[in-house]
Amino acid sequence: MKYMILLYGSQRDYDALAGRSSADTPTWSADEVAALYAFMASWNQELVESGEFVDARGLAAPVHARRIQLRDGVPVVTDGPYAESEEVLAGYTIVECDSFDRATEIAARLAKTPHPPAAGRGREFYADVRPIDEGAAPEG
Amino acid sequence: MTGATVEDLLRQLAPQVLSALVRRYGHFDTAEDAVQEALLAAAVQWPREGVPDSPRGWLITVASRRLTDLLRREQARRRREDDLARWTLPEQWLAPPADQPAAAGDDTLVLLLLCCHPALDPAAQIALTLRAVGGLSTAEIARAFLVPEATMARRISRAKQRIKASSFPFGLPSPGDRPARLATLLHVLYLIFTEGYSTTAGASLQRADLAAEAIRLARLAHRLLPEDTEAAGLLALMLLTDARRPARTGPHGDLIPMAEQDRSLWHTASIAEGVALVTDVLPRGATGPYQLQAAIAALHDEAPTAEATDWPQILALYQLLLRISDNPIVRLNHAVAVAMVHGPHAALDLIDPLYANQHLVDHRLHAIRGHLLEMAGDHTSARDAYLTAARQATSLPQQRYLHARADKLSPAGE
Repeated sequence: MKYMILLYGSQRDYDALAGRSSADTPTWSADEVAALYAFMASWNQELVESGEFVDARGLAAPVHARRIQLRDGVPVVTDGPYAESEEVLAGYTIVECDSFDRATEIAARLAKTPHPPAAGRGREFYADVRPIDEGAAPEG
Repeated sequence: MTGATVEDLLRQLAPQVLSALVRRYGHFDTAEDAVQEALLAAAVQWPREGVPDSPRGWLITVASRRLTDLLRREQARRRREDDLARWTLPEQWLAPPADQPAAAGDDTLVLLLLCCHPALDPAAQIALTLRAVGGLSTAEIARAFLVPEATMARRISRAKQRIKASSFPFGLPSPGDRPARLATLLHVLYLIFTEGYSTTAGASLQRADLAAEAIRLARLAHRLLPEDTEAAGLLALMLLTDARRPARTGPHGDLIPMAEQDRSLWHTASIAEGVALVTDVLPRGATGPYQLQAAIAALHDEAPTAEATDWPQILALYQLLLRISDNPIVRLNHAVAVAMVHGPHAALDLIDPLYANQHLVDHRLHAIRGHLLEMAGDHTSARDAYLTAARQATSLPQQRYLHARADKLSPAGE
């Protein structure tokens, strides 16, 4: 069974990671970014080695998003449709494992993701795990 | 023999075996499948049982047998479908006419040109070249381009179908077509290189080293086309650019601009080889864009310090390059050279018109404008330009680099 683990972040979180200084959000130092990458890489590598890894992608900052929506029957494109503090999908990892509980356990390990002491204020870590509906997948 | 050396040998033989098969039997698409299966068989057997006396002969025999099977199966299917078409099976095939000598080198060139046929789009040309000539598996190519294996398999099979359907002759292009065909071929190799070179350390964990693969293919192209000065120029450009790779990123994957790189990390053997190639071809005339870019890279690589860079010479080369290959990126780099020789104001005047074509330039235009404004002492505008560039960039190392530049210019207390 395949599960998608979804991670979220706001434009403000992205800016802090990208080193954009602002009054209210502390930025990440090079060491802190390196620690984050090392943690994510080892989390990922364990899944590759256990044979549970399927795919993973990270998304560019929400400011690069475009939204297409119908207005009066005409598709209209909006650049950067999210508010600075709005938490949107930042990336996902797909795993194939024996049970929902096992997928949950994998996702729970992310709770130890390192971050600068002052960053991430205002919210605790969270991630979502959702089963993938494979019955609906088109024939490969 | 270890698995790694067998793999090197197989990848070196792959294009020779495929071109030999296609030359004899035709059926590029089926032959390509047959060769892949033969390579797989060798990769399993040779490390265990030893490499045969004639590895190339072994592969051709096994691949021919496999091709026969595949064509028979196809023939049977066609017969069932009441199709009157008949294939020439390998055992019915006679020696090639004496006026068609099959030199192994020429065959590999023909194969490369076929993979880079202008009727295919660049993504297909790249995938087919890496598989048929580079000997990479579909899975490896898919990983390198971060697409699912099924997608890459489709891309390759569509490209093969296209070649089959249009029945391009398996031979060298006519003298009239030759320059354009060779230009496309070199461009495909260049695209493979830039794809590999732009990969940052973090993302490269599971990716085949495309830059190294491009250099291997460019070396092959240069060997097959010893008289072609642009093939030599392309190889030199790749070597001279790749030589700086170890110094391009810091321990944390952060980007380091050339002026601040630790030049002792640069790969001296690659620099020496690249410089020798450029020095050899430049006086031969018919100077093309790859040679000019290689000559510029050589001037950077040979400077013992950033301050010692021969900017007037680099500027002269960019002026030549602009004349034969005018595009926004060349203009931006030209502007940087102008700034180093004549000062930032002259350069700013040059890049301002590029804003009209902004979609062609992306964040680099703003980043370079930031550098020029910083040189000119206009720190407020420089900072704005860096921040705009950071907003447009999508890669984290680039964003961090640009924000750090902006921060250095922040008014005290902010």
